[in-house]
Amino acid sequence: MSKAIKIGLLVVLAILLVVLPWLVNPYTVQVLIMTITYSMLGLAFAFSLKVGLPRFDIAAWWGVGGYATALLMLKAHMNFWPTVLIGGIIAMLVGFLIFIIAVPRGMMVFLMFGMVVAMAIQQIFGSVKFFGGWSGTGLVPRPTIFSHTIAGKPELYYLGLFFLVVNLLVFYYLYNSKIGRAWNAIGSSLKLAGSVGIDVVKYRMANVLIGNFFLAVAGSYYIAYSLSAVPTSFSFSASIFVMMYIVVGGIAQSLSGPLLGALIITFIPEYLRVAKEYEPIITAVITILIIIFVPMSILGWLDRRVKPWFARLGKGGEKEQGAPA
Amino acid sequence: MALLELKDVSKNFGKLQAVSDLDFNVNKGEIHSLIGPNGAGKTTVFNLITGTYPVTNGRIVFNGDDITGLQPHQTAQRGIGRSFQGTFLFMQQSVLDNLMIGFHMSCRAGVLNEFLHTRSAKKTDDECRQKALEIIEFMGLGALKNEMAGNLPHGHQRALGVSIALACSPTLLMLDEPVTGMNPTETVEMVERIRRIRDRGITIILIEHTMRVVMNVSDRLTVLSYGRKIAEGLPEEIRNNQEVIEAYLGREEK
Repeated sequence: MSKAIKIGLLVVLAILLVVLPWLVNPYTVQVLIMTITYSMLGLAFAFSLKVGLPRFDIAAWWGVGGYATALLMLKAHMNFWPTVLIGGIIAMLVGFLIFIIAVPRGMMVFLMFGMVVAMAIQQIFGSVKFFGGWSGTGLVPRPTIFSHTIAGKPELYYLGLFFLVVNLLVFYYLYNSKIGRAWNAIGSSLKLAGSVGIDVVKYRMANVLIGNFFLAVAGSYYIAYSLSAVPTSFSFSASIFVMMYIVVGGIAQSLSGPLLGALIITFIPEYLRVAKEYEPIITAVITILIIIFVPMSILGWLDRRVKPWFARLGKGGEKEQGAPA
Repeated sequence: MALLELKDVSKNFGKLQAVSDLDFNVNKGEIHSLIGPNGAGKTTVFNLITGTYPVTNGRIVFNGDDITGLQPHQTAQRGIGRSFQGTFLFMQQSVLDNLMIGFHMSCRAGVLNEFLHTRSAKKTDDECRQKALEIIEFMGLGALKNEMAGNLPHGHQRALGVSIALACSPTLLMLDEPVTGMNPTETVEMVERIRRIRDRGITIILIEHTMRVVMNVSDRLTVLSYGRKIAEGLPEEIRNNQEVIEAYLGREEK
């Protein structure tokens, strides 16, 4: 695909995304809002997978960001936007502490630590009075921008698009920078990366901390529309759920994979609502079927089966090597 | 003065004594081979030098500096390049990209410049590309520079492994079984290249099992058996050393 076509498609996609709220019913917009949040979680997981770390603590930092925004707005009467930044910084600092404690004992310990944190965070948010207990923080004021309150599904949707696009741009930039090349090397062959002078620990730490920041941002956005931070949202199973997005959507495609996966896995249950209590089972079956029949993930399948087919149809000479989108 | 000195180095993994009380010196500009039966601890010695494993005892001095306990990326940055026994490559990348990653640490334009994509960052990148292509040509991989590493035949993959180690502009190059699995033609070519690398002023430590190659190309040999040095000296001396012969043949008898 030539660059011009790629840019053209992106422009069309952008326009489509902007007018979407007018094209679909409000319920679908609601689902899209949730999809955006889950996409950001998925992006963060794929981000850490790049350096060979399947993080189990996704929901924990998502929760940190959410609670930071909720509590700062509620108790310190802060404006929404600074809380996003502060939540991100807190996530980075705490993540840094965990990293220095766990890493000298090996990355396995670090991952296990993450698992423990993810499991414990729900308990901490629920039990500690300061966080408001199991019923949550209580209703949080809506976010405002230049004295305009952001309310209503379309506006929240646009807010989400804003965060998602920023997330994508930053990740895209990082992936194509020197840091990204070092990360690729680390994910590809740990030993070899070290032997060419790449400080594996340092680069992994950068990856984890940046991931934490954007997870917290996703948490802040989540509060913007759910308007309350409740412990049960940030469960350990949410951390595991995120991995499904990657497996279904795209493992090698760190940017588009999570998006596609989140889209599919969020929308399928919504359209299966009619099945009522059987819905989770059907969703699970569909997901499993996808994994069995498209084991390389949907985008991976496109890359390997469909792209070469198109290349053969075209005027030839185009490299069919699929680059991570 | 020796370029690399191992003083009384030991390494155990729990109860397993992999290396015991090793005194090992490599002189500047020589091709020094480390040989011994399988399991003698040769690759472990490499891993101790690069810092992949911490030493249990002893010191390692490189160029006058104590490098014991440094991390692999730190020893690499000090000029110790190393190829691996297995084939470790960045499989999904082209041959050229594999080397460019190797230049990662020697081509620093500075993080800020890199961020802003300034002209100086671009210039350094071009210089790296030039050097990378030079190495690729030198190792006979010129025609394959855009091929994906995973698609190369075995012999070329081994050559690429050596190229990546060269990309770090090492003073000391440690090659772990570079010709294993190569056919006779490839072996002769690789040996010739090893000589030419030495002629460029790079000191080489070689682990190899192919005796013909070892005896042919080495200036000095060190023989390990069960983690201990049992002999050291010129190829002619080692060839006729009783203990060495027993170490290799004695194994088979058991």
